[in-house]
Amino acid sequence: MHWSVLATYWQAILHGLWVTVQITVWGGIGAFVIGVALGCLHQLPGYLLRRAIDAYVEFIRNIPAVVKVFFLYFVLGWEGWESAVVGLAIHQSAYICDAVDAGFRSVPREQAEASWALGHSRLEVFRYVLLPQTWTVSLPSITNQLIEVLKNSSIVMLIGVQELTFQAQQIETDTFRGFEAATAVTAIYVVLAFAIAGATAWFERKVARR
Amino acid sequence: MNTSPRAPDRRRRWLELALLAALLAAAAFLLKDYRWSVIRDAAPLLLKGLWNSWILTLVAVAIGLPVGIVLAILRLEGARPVRAAVAAVVEIIRATPQLMVIFWVYFAVPSLTGTRIPSWPAAILSLSVIAAAYLAEVVRGGLRAVPPVLVESGFATGLTRGQVLAHIVIPQALRTIIPALVSHIVMMFKITSLIYIVGITDFFRAVVLINNRVFEPVPLYTVLAAGYFVCCYALSCAVRRFDKEAARLA
Repeated sequence: MHWSVLATYWQAILHGLWVTVQITVWGGIGAFVIGVALGCLHQLPGYLLRRAIDAYVEFIRNIPAVVKVFFLYFVLGWEGWESAVVGLAIHQSAYICDAVDAGFRSVPREQAEASWALGHSRLEVFRYVLLPQTWTVSLPSITNQLIEVLKNSSIVMLIGVQELTFQAQQIETDTFRGFEAATAVTAIYVVLAFAIAGATAWFERKVARR
Repeated sequence: MNTSPRAPDRRRRWLELALLAALLAAAAFLLKDYRWSVIRDAAPLLLKGLWNSWILTLVAVAIGLPVGIVLAILRLEGARPVRAAVAAVVEIIRATPQLMVIFWVYFAVPSLTGTRIPSWPAAILSLSVIAAAYLAEVVRGGLRAVPPVLVESGFATGLTRGQVLAHIVIPQALRTIIPALVSHIVMMFKITSLIYIVGITDFFRAVVLINNRVFEPVPLYTVLAAGYFVCCYALSCAVRRFDKEAARLA
């Protein structure tokens, strides 16, 4: 083993880490916003809207992320970076929508009915009764989906975005030291994944304490 | 908030179907001017790719499930160091991007040992590793869902530990995890698209290769999305059927 290869390529790895973090953060924010918005809209009484969101979720969930990224890149001709972020955001938004919906379903219907009976408006019930209770159920699965954004960000190397996996492959082609590169990059991914899990666990405790 | 829990009546179903048909017709109208003959000409390669994707999925699950069961049992029943080691390996694999796992098997380990693995064994090995790690967690959930009373009464009737596992715990655990298992088969089917990097012509790579040749991205990627959707949706529907059956039985 020649660990010195990492000393030679540390800048490349750092650059890859930075790109991975950026894609994960923007993709994660996008997925979160779209997913939570759709999950909340799914609670509206309109039947067709609900079915349309169902259809969106089914459609997105049953197609691999890499197909979406390639579609944006090769068919729509977007930049690599944009295709990466938007593709990953759209892909994970469906799963987050599902998680949010599960959160709403976990709140007993009687609570909403009781609040209406007390004269609260739909919006008030939604904002003060239902929404605060969904987090405890949906936050763990949302965390998993954010980690999935991180993991799926590795596929954007296939369209030439120079993130961590790309750098590992690059080091492998340059020096045939794939093992050392893979060890370093995998360690970074694992640390990042645990960091996301830790951060949301902290956030969860904060929310729960309120 | 959905205040009407009643099932959609027949008129709504028709409306939904009509809208779906209208959407498909609109899509067909928008896409009709592309060179669809490309698909007909490339059909053998596309079907070969789809077939390879299915084979890879099924072989990976067929290897990954038994390994996953063993890992799950070790993680629950093994000696303390074994438990910790299995937990660490499973969690690290689950936290690693799947593409990176494939990279490990196809590029990283061979660079250490000095011998390249051919692409098919590498593909099957890496997908099996992924399947085993994810299914180990699924199986562990199933094992823990078996009521302790059943295990205790098994011991009380004089069965050994192994007999209790083989005849009481595992059969029941497997029954409860069927829906999760099928949704993981869907997941594995989607992951086969990443086998692209080892150079096996799966469904995804077939489309990319054909597109490099003829450059007709719109029809090709439409067929790609449709192909994945149909395969995965069929499996998802099967899961929901199972889920309902299981709910009715429970």
